[in-house]
Amino acid sequence: MKKVVVVLKVNGKSYELIIESHMLLGDVLRDKLGLTGTKYACGTGDCGACLVLIDGKPALSCLTLAVTAKDRDILTIEGMSEGGNLHPIQQAFLDNGAIQCGYCTPGMVLSAKALLDDNPAPSKGEVKEALASNLCRCTGYVKIVDAVLAAAKTMGKGGKS
Amino acid sequence: MEQELSIVGKRLPRADAPPRATGAMQFSVDMTVPGMLTGRILHSPYPHARIKKIDTSQAKEVPGVEAVITYQDVPKMPFTRSAMAEALPSFAYEGEVLDQYIISDKARYIGDWIAAVAAVDVYTAEQALDLIEVEYEQLPAVFDPFEAMKPGAPVIHEGKKKNIAGTISHAFNCGDVDKAFKESDFVVEFSGKNSRQKHCHLEPDSAIAFWDTNGRLTVISPCQNAHLAKKAFARRIFDMREGDIRWITPAVGGGFGARLAFGVEPLAAFLAKVACKPVKVITTREEDFAGWAARTEQYQTMRIGVKKDGTLTGIEMRIVSDSGAYFSHSGTITAVNMQHTLGLFRFPNVDAQAKIVYTNTPIASGFRGYGNAEGSFILQQCIDMLAEKVAMDPVEFRLKNIKKVGEPSFFIPVPLDHCQLEQCIRLAAGKIGWKKKWKGWGKEKPDRIKRGVGMSIMNHASGAGGFLLEHSSVLIKLNEDGSANLTVSPCEMGQGILGALSQIAAESMGLCYEDIHVVTGDTDVTLFDIGSHASRSTLVIGNAVIDAGNKIRKQLLDLASKQLGVAAAELDIKAGRVYAKSAMEKNISVARIAHDAIYNYMDKGAHISATGSFLSTSHNPNFQAAFAEIEVDTETGVVKLLKYVVAHDIGRAINPQSVEGQLEGGTAQGIGLALTEDFMVDAVTGRTLTDSFATYKIPSTLDMPEMDFIIVEDPAPKGPYGAKGVGEPGLVNVAPAVANALYDAVGVRISTMPISPEKVLAALKGK
Repeated sequence: MKKVVVVLKVNGKSYELIIESHMLLGDVLRDKLGLTGTKYACGTGDCGACLVLIDGKPALSCLTLAVTAKDRDILTIEGMSEGGNLHPIQQAFLDNGAIQCGYCTPGMVLSAKALLDDNPAPSKGEVKEALASNLCRCTGYVKIVDAVLAAAKTMGKGGKS
Repeated sequence: MEQELSIVGKRLPRADAPPRATGAMQFSVDMTVPGMLTGRILHSPYPHARIKKIDTSQAKEVPGVEAVITYQDVPKMPFTRSAMAEALPSFAYEGEVLDQYIISDKARYIGDWIAAVAAVDVYTAEQALDLIEVEYEQLPAVFDPFEAMKPGAPVIHEGKKKNIAGTISHAFNCGDVDKAFKESDFVVEFSGKNSRQKHCHLEPDSAIAFWDTNGRLTVISPCQNAHLAKKAFARRIFDMREGDIRWITPAVGGGFGARLAFGVEPLAAFLAKVACKPVKVITTREEDFAGWAARTEQYQTMRIGVKKDGTLTGIEMRIVSDSGAYFSHSGTITAVNMQHTLGLFRFPNVDAQAKIVYTNTPIASGFRGYGNAEGSFILQQCIDMLAEKVAMDPVEFRLKNIKKVGEPSFFIPVPLDHCQLEQCIRLAAGKIGWKKKWKGWGKEKPDRIKRGVGMSIMNHASGAGGFLLEHSSVLIKLNEDGSANLTVSPCEMGQGILGALSQIAAESMGLCYEDIHVVTGDTDVTLFDIGSHASRSTLVIGNAVIDAGNKIRKQLLDLASKQLGVAAAELDIKAGRVYAKSAMEKNISVARIAHDAIYNYMDKGAHISATGSFLSTSHNPNFQAAFAEIEVDTETGVVKLLKYVVAHDIGRAINPQSVEGQLEGGTAQGIGLALTEDFMVDAVTGRTLTDSFATYKIPSTLDMPEMDFIIVEDPAPKGPYGAKGVGEPGLVNVAPAVANALYDAVGVRISTMPISPEKVLAALKGK
């Protein structure tokens, strides 16, 4: 197994790592960096639990080779609440009761961030569309969609993006 | 008199939610233990095969491999995967079939466990799996339970003739059904089955296990009933003392009944024993799909008689349950189907029988709704067929035949003590606009896309008291600052039970909600509890919390009485202060009392603490009515659920936001069961065809209709502050309500789940 040295920029910090060239980004985040907020659930790109943002765009870390993410900006759920302050999207998930088991939450929150960065005032239909590839087995999505709409309102009022 | 409540009934945030939002919450699959090995499983490629020879010598030579096990190595005590069975009374436990070993002695389905490896990492473990040489003798296999019962069918478990693992005669059979049918004006018959729904909990199955030098075993896993799992491990699998097992349950990433049966825990424990190191067994989604938990498929035939005036005369039910390769929950889930389904309406004559049959397919198990969703799909369609026969409105027909308070209840033979079902039916019918939207029987609708409305009602137990050992014990201790540690042992798999129990604790003691700290997830610390299932936790554990809370309250009042010089009976506690009811200025903080009780230099010290227990001997039924409005495209067969209205009789909502969450989430799973979730085993090879989220379709945001949930509150006599259960019911009514709406729209009935476009088109063609 070929080992390579890569520099990954995760949540604003650079990490120099020696990894096998076939390693997936999700495994590197979880096993090498201890960032277990990125979840493993299907391994086949069907559920969105492992979703992270690379250069602001949603990416499934279970299908992404870690080496392809070098020198790019990777944002995981841990980077959403740095300094202990919850991001308005996270706060909205809490306020709206949008979290049950929480296993899909990191991917959902990051998907929502990608949406709101791109479209700060989405319609309900646009929120549903944007989150359609993030599966949740607990909530029935009602409160998740409500939370994203609520977050859009808060952020529109000058919350941090 | 209505109790004045300050914390119960409020939409309060769950203390365990923020770490789930930040990614900090650790699930079993996220956890590591120093020196831990990785365990992987070798699965059978054949549905039925004898293991003639198994050679692990090459696998053991791989550097980094520390344990390789086969059926020859594992303990020889047979067990059932259903840890819940430990809570059955002995007469019922005899109905359980102990038919499994940690590793199978013979392959009984594609995916059966043939060997396992523990190695330094997953790559090494998988390399070793490839080097295990197995010589199989392929045996004829059978994938259909009716074929399995025929003479000459392959025998899956020695000694089980016709592959019948067990039979069940319903405990409340009564009267003479044949006579009743003769005296009926109409008898309808309907046969169908539910699908083998997969739980699809997003957190995959995993387990970490390690043994310490004193021979004590620690298991870390997502488990819904850790205390029972501990007992089953001790008594049935490893022949050790319960006290020598510590079971840790971190946050659980969805359960839905899957974690009521063992996953990979026995394997992790045995690999760890052989390797003398901690082992974490991990699994993939593909393994899970072809694996060891899914809703038991029940083939059901119902016959029901009715008089012209709409009076039901009797019901006959026959069930054949496909348990798959091993017994697990297939017996109890079938019995519970009968208990729920046959008791909702007033049937003076009842005859129900079931057979549980082995096939060479993945293992069936328990699933949210536990028999009730399966039975309701058939029963509620029958009820509509009967209403049509006697030309009655389905709403009126149900109102005429549902049981009322005082009549025999359904789960165990006691009188029904609380029921708001009639209210639920009326409220939900009003909300959907039934009178306007339902046009009567047999009305042809124009246009390619046709609309229809349908309904379904249900009863469900809030804990299986009288059947299972519904025992919960809890511990509360007060800290020096007046906050309280609440030690409880439900399984928090997302339902919000820790929040609900915290609200109950704060209310019962008179503390602030924020001052409750929950301690949970470790059997070394928690008191006995049978875990979370059967919509039981709020009612049973909640009552145990009140028992402990009342004892703490008494201790606080006695100590405050001495300090304030006011009789205890004249005192009350609110928001963490004890005060005299007649003179509020006479007061003292709980913090002060708790602190001084411990830091007492004058007298014998005391730490304010109490245990509380509750044994529920009844089932405290909750009720629900649901209405679906759908659209059917008669050219494509696609059924679209437009609107879904539910009214649920909860007794009291401890936290309305969590109650809504349970109903919404249950409904989503019900929509999957009704319309898209179609677990398929190839009829020729026995291979699981649906082994990913790409091939097995659970609902996404785009599949959710407009929904309305009405929470009907009228405190139930035995609930904590009147609360009853809500964990499972959201799922139960969806498929039957949609099926009845389909009949209203296009006049066809679908008898098997899911109601797929193919089935709808075929039915329309055959009309």
